[in-house]
Amino acid sequence: MNFLLMAWRYLKFRWLVSLLTVIGISIGVALVCAVLALRHESERALSRDAGLYDLVAGGKGSPLQLVLSSVYHLDSPTGNLPYKVYERLRRDSRVLWAAPVGLGDNYSGYRIVGTEKHFFELPKRNGEPFFQFSKGKVFEDRFEVVLGSQVAESSKLKIGDTFFGTHGLVDVPGAEVHSDFPYRVSGILSPTGTAQDRAIFGTLKSVWEIHETEDLMHSAIQGSAIMAEDKTKETTAILIRLKTPGLRLWMADEIREGTDGIASVPINEIMRFQQGIIGPVQQILLAVAWAVVGVSCLTVLITLHQAAERRRRDIAILRSLGAFPREVATLVFSEGVLLTAAGILLGLLIGHGGLALAVGPFREATGLLLDAWQFPRSELWAVLSMGGCGAIASLFPAISCYKNTPIQDLQLSD
Amino acid sequence: MIRLNKVSLHLGNTDQNSSVHFELPLFEAKAGELVALTGPSGCGKSTLLNLISGLRRSEEGEVVVSGVDLKNLTPAELDRHRGANCGMIFQTFHLLAPFTATENVALGLRFGARNHKNPNKRAVEVLKRVGLGDRLDARPDQLSVGQRQRVAIARAIAGDAPILLADEPTGALDIQTGWEIFSLLKEIAEEDNRTLLLVTHDPAIAEKMPKSFDCSELVGPAKNILGEEVSAS
Repeated sequence: MNFLLMAWRYLKFRWLVSLLTVIGISIGVALVCAVLALRHESERALSRDAGLYDLVAGGKGSPLQLVLSSVYHLDSPTGNLPYKVYERLRRDSRVLWAAPVGLGDNYSGYRIVGTEKHFFELPKRNGEPFFQFSKGKVFEDRFEVVLGSQVAESSKLKIGDTFFGTHGLVDVPGAEVHSDFPYRVSGILSPTGTAQDRAIFGTLKSVWEIHETEDLMHSAIQGSAIMAEDKTKETTAILIRLKTPGLRLWMADEIREGTDGIASVPINEIMRFQQGIIGPVQQILLAVAWAVVGVSCLTVLITLHQAAERRRRDIAILRSLGAFPREVATLVFSEGVLLTAAGILLGLLIGHGGLALAVGPFREATGLLLDAWQFPRSELWAVLSMGGCGAIASLFPAISCYKNTPIQDLQLSD
Repeated sequence: MIRLNKVSLHLGNTDQNSSVHFELPLFEAKAGELVALTGPSGCGKSTLLNLISGLRRSEEGEVVVSGVDLKNLTPAELDRHRGANCGMIFQTFHLLAPFTATENVALGLRFGARNHKNPNKRAVEVLKRVGLGDRLDARPDQLSVGQRQRVAIARAIAGDAPILLADEPTGALDIQTGWEIFSLLKEIAEEDNRTLLLVTHDPAIAEKMPKSFDCSELVGPAKNILGEEVSAS
């Protein structure tokens, strides 16, 4: 019987205390791991979306709001730009790809994005097409639409099915339904793991047509991609991929100077957003989680100390049988290491398991697809640090056992 | 085999007047000798066993076991000495609760100087010898007190230690079980030619031992560096 097996038998013998200690450690570990994994994954997921486009142009307003509304389908749009701005940009020799985004309606809370056919030709950074169709094809008629994978999944709409859009960007009870303009599903996209999965893509013309013939009162809604009274065609935003990403800031300046709108670099805005808003919140969460880990390590220390106190007689018996001090110290240390290891493993399982359960609701809310079983490097360091804390906590009672002389303890009665 | 000559030490807290002084002019036991250590509680019987096992060190005098003066040994060497030469049996058995009878005996062979090659096999052998062949997998709480002491005896003899130090092994047992345990211990010591030092308060048991040593006068008031008695304040 080796030390680890002996230690395991002792832990099993006082299973309740052992279990509570392991749970205490695992809660701290789970919190730290969940926060770190969530941070890593949300950064990755946000960057995945933001990295698709070099620039987003839109009406005057907050650059972050522009990115959130046109790239992530969150928040309200900033305003409109003349369609001719898009036409000019598309012809620009420095632009690899550009597509308009017209917003104004939703279906069951999923935004209907008016765009053009070549929107689906958006290339990944490695040149491969970003969008793949799992079923059907791109829209041909002006009231045909392509569903993002999440929309298709939750709405159960199939190719050929029709539905009506509702006015506004969010699903509000009593909102006006555009019942004269049925949309027909022409295609369903494969999952991309980005916010595009929770959007419905139709023609920009359909968005114009609906809002042109509807009550002009709708034009009061900020950001609606409607035709203005002077019949000038407008678009809510323009998504742009450049041939050379290095031209981002130059082009952004040009758009700002040449139009009434703004242009922002999505990745910059998102990084600023993460560092300015999400970052501090995550830091606080992380600090709380580390505090829990600290308390857990203290629990290990107290538990092992108490266990060693209760087992002073057993340790003395082993010493009376000729066990060396280092052997009994190793035994006690092994118990601490086993408790810590079990706590860490359980914590990883709880942390990532909890994250796995949150993937669905998180995707539903944000469209971002998290990989719950990714283990970022920061988490590896955190786990190693927590293991180190547990090992240090285990050392104290081990040293105490090493130093104890067995003579007094042997006289403790059974 | 065992010789304690002019051994003295303070017991208790030596900084305070509450300590007592242990003084042993001479004690000898030959290899294979069976000796009963008698005397009232607190007279120093257990201290004598602890000096021989190396659990206590003498302040003066010599404690020679198997030709080695324990006073010259380092703590690690004392651990080795205890593992190699002494099998200890206690009044309250001192078995390890989470482990079976076999494991309790085998664990005694696992540590320190013993480090037996096949501790489980040896544990089963000695448990059978003490009449527990059918209780190998029982934990201490599943055994009667007599059976627990048998396990403790098995553990003490498993390492082939030439000296058995039994500190009131029958003290926690009823009369009949006490006699059974005493007989077993004596039989094993005689068969294996082991030295048995047995602390007992039972005159009947002491009478059955070939030799008896009275420890009544070993402990007295504490003494200062000049050998003068220190009176309790």
